[in-house]
Amino acid sequence: MRTYFNDLPKTALGASYWIFAVYLVLPLTLMTAMSFKDANFIAFPIGNWTLSWYAKVVQDKQFLEASLYSIGIALATTVSATIIGVWIALLVSAENIWGKAVIFALACLPAVVPGLINAISMRIFIRTVDIPTGTFAIILAHTVHAVPFVVIMVLTRLRSMPANLVDAARDLGADPFIAFLRVTIPYLMPALFGGMIFCVLTSIDDFVRTFFLGGYQPTLPMLIFAKVQGGMSPEINAMATIVLVVTTAIGIYAEHFTRRSRS
Amino acid sequence: MLDTTTQPRSVGLPTAPRYAGWIGRAASSGLYRNTIGLLVDSRRVRLAVLAGVPLLWIAMLHIGPILQMANISLLANYPPQPDKSSEYTLANYGLFFSDRLYFVPFVRSLVFAAVVTISTLVIVYPVAYYVAKVVQPKNRMRALLLLLIPFWAGELIRTFSVIMLLANRGALNVLLREFGFIDRPIPMLYTFFSLSFGVIYLLALYMLLPLYSAIEKIPTPLIQAAADLGAGPFQRFRRVILPLSKDGIVSGCSLVYLTAVGVFAAPLLLGGPNSVIFPEVIATLFHGSNDKWPEGAAFSMIMLVVSLTTVGLFMRIVGGRSVRLM
Repeated sequence: MRTYFNDLPKTALGASYWIFAVYLVLPLTLMTAMSFKDANFIAFPIGNWTLSWYAKVVQDKQFLEASLYSIGIALATTVSATIIGVWIALLVSAENIWGKAVIFALACLPAVVPGLINAISMRIFIRTVDIPTGTFAIILAHTVHAVPFVVIMVLTRLRSMPANLVDAARDLGADPFIAFLRVTIPYLMPALFGGMIFCVLTSIDDFVRTFFLGGYQPTLPMLIFAKVQGGMSPEINAMATIVLVVTTAIGIYAEHFTRRSRS
Repeated sequence: MLDTTTQPRSVGLPTAPRYAGWIGRAASSGLYRNTIGLLVDSRRVRLAVLAGVPLLWIAMLHIGPILQMANISLLANYPPQPDKSSEYTLANYGLFFSDRLYFVPFVRSLVFAAVVTISTLVIVYPVAYYVAKVVQPKNRMRALLLLLIPFWAGELIRTFSVIMLLANRGALNVLLREFGFIDRPIPMLYTFFSLSFGVIYLLALYMLLPLYSAIEKIPTPLIQAAADLGAGPFQRFRRVILPLSKDGIVSGCSLVYLTAVGVFAAPLLLGGPNSVIFPEVIATLFHGSNDKWPEGAAFSMIMLVVSLTTVGLFMRIVGGRSVRLM
């Protein structure tokens, strides 16, 4: 490789990588730094440093309630999206189903429809079928959003599964359901885990769907959004930093896990 | 595990196999055995169990909402009121073309999404190439991970963090003033610049991953062969690397474009009065005091159809394979 590259393009490529990395990391670093500012407005330079914003956020009842609410919604979304996603993937991967390509395309539809349109159409839908805005509506919309990604991850894994694994289980006396539970599910585990982490993170992140479908109780992004609109103080930075650290930890753990199970 | 050790398998009438644990207890119950017997015997029942829930879900929640949105976009008023007619009309679509207030943000939105898509492609391509082809294979995952970490932060937090950099008393302005380049802060926030900056920041990952996986698949010997045959760096890029990474370019651009068209949180936090784009216009029709659902539904339909058509045409012209989502 080295001999075929003049040094100039290679250096330029390396520089572009590092500039891009700084571009990605810098705003979040600044945001974190600002959470330690000892003043009740956001401005550089930081001057005096303090931990008092964190003390305030940790004791903030609103923040704790919103966190628990968001986590609850994320868990419910994850369970329902995983069940539906696996079910659709099994249907699409079945051998003799007519119109498989169409089913797959429609299963992926919510992933290509712009998020705003998705949220609005769901808002219209729940009014048509008389579901009130609030927790259930949010979970429904988050699930619809997450299902295509679960389907794709599970399908990718299913395609690499030797067909005779299930056949062997059946020959040994397992009925279809037991074979699914004891053979297919364990084989799918890495994909399921990846899909679940994806569901949790997208649900906790989601803003636009919650904006249109939420009730009076705010989720974490809604709370942060309300605070930003109400006037910015480093309190928001402390809040956002806590969320950032937690979600990043989940992401890194998931990455670690999937890489270990792959090798 | 199948418990075959304690009980010799009987010949003749098949008996229920015995399993250990709660699965086993459930599996031995009569209700379960009858149900599963039905499943094994009849192909039709098997198909119904396999297809029922997925098809119902897709019909109800993937297609249903969009059909209902299309339906409402054609109504004269919604919800139906006793004193007004609720006939089908095209007036909601007509409103879009008759009022500059709606038309201009729409065009702005499409141009904005296109500019963001092209900028993201230009910024991310060399990065993806560097990670896929220049970095040693053993360091590749680490190099990629460094770029992925910021994307776990979430849409709203990343958008908010851009404010720290670009505000009047944000890091960039303070730094420039410190070094004496400027006397007063450059107003960067609440402009098109901050909006594009933020949206590229949000969506770069959707470009990075497809590009990376496409470029990684290009056999390095091909690039070397081109070099041996006398192609310079630019020619190698233009004639070998670019055509072979077309799939990645097409899926990356499609994903970024479709997301950028419907971006919602970023304009609320980073946009200003001069950068009103279409999603904000649509949202105001649903929220707040003016409850204009049919108009909002019609505008959403226009946006959906135009953005999907644009991406469809783009894929047809460039000729990549279908959009790969991951």
